[in-house]
Amino acid sequence: MNQSFKAPIVHIHNLSKSYFRETLEIPVLQGLDLDIPSGGFYALMGPSGSGKTTLLNLIAGIDRPSGGVLEVCGSNLNQLDDDELASWRNQNVGFIFQNYNLIPVLNAFENVELPLLLTPLTRTQRKEKVEEALTLVNLMDRLENYPRQLSGGQEQRVAIARAIVGNPMLLVADEPTGALDAKNADEVLAMMQKLNEEFGKTILVVTHDPKAANFARHQVHLEKGVLDKTVEVNR
Amino acid sequence: MLFFFGFISLIFVGYLIWLIYAVFKFPVPFVYNIRSLWQRKSSTLTTASAISLVVSIFIVVLSLAQGISKAFITSGLPNQALVMRPSSRFELNSTITRDQARILKLSPLVSKDGNNAIASAEVIVIKLFNKADGAGSNITVRGIEPRGISMRPQVRLISGRWFQPGLSEVTIPAKIQLRYPELAVGRSFRMGGREWNIVGSFDAAGSSFDSEIWSDVDDVMQAFKRDDYSTVLVRLRAEKDLRVFAFEVENERRLQLEVVPERVYFKELTKAGDPIRIIGNLITVILTIGAIFSAMNTMYASVASRTREIGTLRALGYRRREILASFQWEAIVLCTLGGLGGSLLSLLADGIQTGTTSFDTFSDISFAFTITPALIGQGLFFSIGMGILGGLLPAWRASNIPLTEAMKA
Amino acid sequence: MKFINLIFKSLMRSKRRTFLILGTLVLSVFLITILQSLLATLDSVSNQSTEGNRFIVRHKSGLTQFLPISYGDYLRQQPEVIAVANSQWFGGYYQDPKNFFANFANDHTTMFTVFSDTVAGMTDAEIKEYQRDGTGCIVGQILADKFGWKVGDTIPLTGTIFPISPRLTIRGIFKARLASDENTLYFHYKLLEESVPFMKGKTGAFWVKTKTPEDLPRLSNRIDNHFANSPEETLSETENAFYLTFVKMLGNIGAIIHGVTIAVIIAITIVTIGTMSMAFKERTTEIAVLRAMGFSASRVLFLLMGEGLLLVTLGGALGIGLASLVAKILREVLGSALMFLQDFRLANETILICMGLTLAIGLISTIIPAIVATRKSIVEGLRAL
Repeated sequence: MNQSFKAPIVHIHNLSKSYFRETLEIPVLQGLDLDIPSGGFYALMGPSGSGKTTLLNLIAGIDRPSGGVLEVCGSNLNQLDDDELASWRNQNVGFIFQNYNLIPVLNAFENVELPLLLTPLTRTQRKEKVEEALTLVNLMDRLENYPRQLSGGQEQRVAIARAIVGNPMLLVADEPTGALDAKNADEVLAMMQKLNEEFGKTILVVTHDPKAANFARHQVHLEKGVLDKTVEVNR
Repeated sequence: MLFFFGFISLIFVGYLIWLIYAVFKFPVPFVYNIRSLWQRKSSTLTTASAISLVVSIFIVVLSLAQGISKAFITSGLPNQALVMRPSSRFELNSTITRDQARILKLSPLVSKDGNNAIASAEVIVIKLFNKADGAGSNITVRGIEPRGISMRPQVRLISGRWFQPGLSEVTIPAKIQLRYPELAVGRSFRMGGREWNIVGSFDAAGSSFDSEIWSDVDDVMQAFKRDDYSTVLVRLRAEKDLRVFAFEVENERRLQLEVVPERVYFKELTKAGDPIRIIGNLITVILTIGAIFSAMNTMYASVASRTREIGTLRALGYRRREILASFQWEAIVLCTLGGLGGSLLSLLADGIQTGTTSFDTFSDISFAFTITPALIGQGLFFSIGMGILGGLLPAWRASNIPLTEAMKA
Repeated sequence: MKFINLIFKSLMRSKRRTFLILGTLVLSVFLITILQSLLATLDSVSNQSTEGNRFIVRHKSGLTQFLPISYGDYLRQQPEVIAVANSQWFGGYYQDPKNFFANFANDHTTMFTVFSDTVAGMTDAEIKEYQRDGTGCIVGQILADKFGWKVGDTIPLTGTIFPISPRLTIRGIFKARLASDENTLYFHYKLLEESVPFMKGKTGAFWVKTKTPEDLPRLSNRIDNHFANSPEETLSETENAFYLTFVKMLGNIGAIIHGVTIAVIIAITIVTIGTMSMAFKERTTEIAVLRAMGFSASRVLFLLMGEGLLLVTLGGALGIGLASLVAKILREVLGSALMFLQDFRLANETILICMGLTLAIGLISTIIPAIVATRKSIVEGLRAL
């Protein structure tokens, strides 16, 4: 609990989310309370259908809650309109996906550069930052390669570089190792750990893989849309 | 060139027969492909409607070209000939004196009806008519001898009566009356300083006579102060006499005229439709290539989205050629849908009457867009051809996806 | 413009698809450009910026009827008239009927006043020489180039309307602004009149030049009224009105061209909508990823539209480029079928209109699939794979 004295980067109170299938309301999250302190490394766990991805999407600001308080990185997301939310995401959140989701027609450099295109940075400044990010994931020799020329592990590392290039406070990852073999998965997870420990990034990972979850410092278990328990991982 | 086209169409037909054979032997992939057209409704619909437009243009252009050709080709009889001044090329330019006409009718080669030669000395003049919208248009006026009517068997009186010599009367084609309502039977118009009564209307079965006002030759010559005829139309006893007759007429000292078989003369005149034909062909060729491109695009997308299905079929034991045939059929069905749509669209143009001008004689030629079953058949055949061409490469690609890749997708 | 790389690379994602749709676009724009230029060329025939103080007096009953030459005396007496040239379409050909070009028998003196704008560039000496030689002729530069004629050459002209085939000596080569005007031969009216018995004292038309264009309406009325009750009535009309009768003769060619143009525009719009929605649908996940990254919906819309507009701009430019490349060939093919099309060219206005049309097609056909693509929620988009 050494970081618990810091202000929470995610503050959630009584959060709920429902989907509508035709007229039928399907509740996914119900009355959820959760605070994540800045610099935390949290794993969201639970069986499929438990609402863990929905929670992640809400925190990352790509989905809207049906009710409740949702404050992330100092902003009340309910008060932002779609465009404000988009630019909020650009500044505050980095995304890592299961399928990497790199743009196939862009090379590694261009993929990492994408979020920076939305900033007022100059071309040279962008280049500097991209190279910094790619150095961090050890892919400086792959600048010119296109996604299909990279291995899965390399692709995910490019995706990580893309997530951190804008220097966001929060990194969200949905099953980041789901498509990787054990060796690459470890590598990616170690990298995320490093980002958490050395760079102080707050990281939120959705996973059903207990081994991946063990890289986190806290594990949040969800069950049928409600918080089941939070466990601190001892290492 | 003919050999080349024969060869190509032979390949086409052979390929089509094989495709039909394949679909009967292995109907399953085919059914999948047709279902896929249904599933990809919006893409099927867009491509088919684009092809519809192209096919309808194809049919309309074809009917236009046919309309123009028909106007001239059906105008002549094989054993009739026009006698004209040498190198005059068109009736309008020709002059023949009364003496020459008299001598011509005496020739033993000319067919007789009792004591009278079956021949008609005629004069051609042009009359400018003002259309309702203010645009002027020239219409040919043909002065003929009464016998000239029966020498054109395709010409049929449909209302009123034929003109009588000496009374300044005219008979007008119904097709002209459609475009100039003021020329109705019972009305009159001024020409050459006198008033002409319209006493009847005729139909010339789409031939160029549908574009001419007919009257008595002497009346027209008097009104226009002409001393000479333009041409003499003669009927010979037999078609084979044409050459002898031509030789005699060219070499007889008092004549020295040119004999042009009626069929040849009118065939020459179809050149009037050349500008429209050239533009029409240009339009069709370009649009066809464009339509094939877009059919290819749709088919490639269809192949790409069903890679896994193709893999499954292959794994079940279907061979490449069956995959090829079924995708080829998908393209053909797609284009034929377009073809059917296009045929329906083209029917909108059916019966529209229009005209163009012969720039050699500066006179009007009317013709109609007639969408016949044969034209629709050609349009459908054309769309099947587009389907084969547009589907071939995508189908080839579908049949050559490696099994491993297909299963992975 | 930092997004241009992204737009371009997205467009090139499926090269085959892009090239096929590009091909369709190029061909369609090419066709529209050619057809509209054709129409514009025909329109320009009856819309020439001629001096405006020239008009034609011809037989009321038609182009193939003759007027008495003596009518010219009355015309010359009118105070507004500067010069009168009688003129007759000869319709002859050189060597082969296929070698078709315009040839007229014109008054050999007054024509240089009446046609000072369309028969230009000859020296006074050449004009004198032509006027001296009764069997002389003058030809336009284009015509001379086509057959390799030089001043001094003697050429046979075979008559089709008139039973004479004069041998004419070229005495001068003139220049004109329009190709069709330069594709013309003139010879002495007297030659025609003296060698064709039925042309004695007759002419097809009079070209009349007045002091100012304002004189025209009153003068032509006066002339037509003067001859109204004589056996040969006249019809006086401006040069443009005269040419308009020729263009009108082509009948509904304008309607056909517009019909085809509209059909092509509809077809290409449908096809482009189909292709663009195909292309965008394929990228549903990518679009969601971009938006998750912070690209706003309007920014993504802008990128997608940019892609469509880049495509149609490329297609439009290539189509118009192709059209201008083949314009020369087409001018010859069509020109031989129809005299007026010797002036066929792509006018700047036509090019602008066609480019505007293409962009409009691009805009309409991209905006629909682009809106559909960006209205999907991010979460839905990410799940799509």
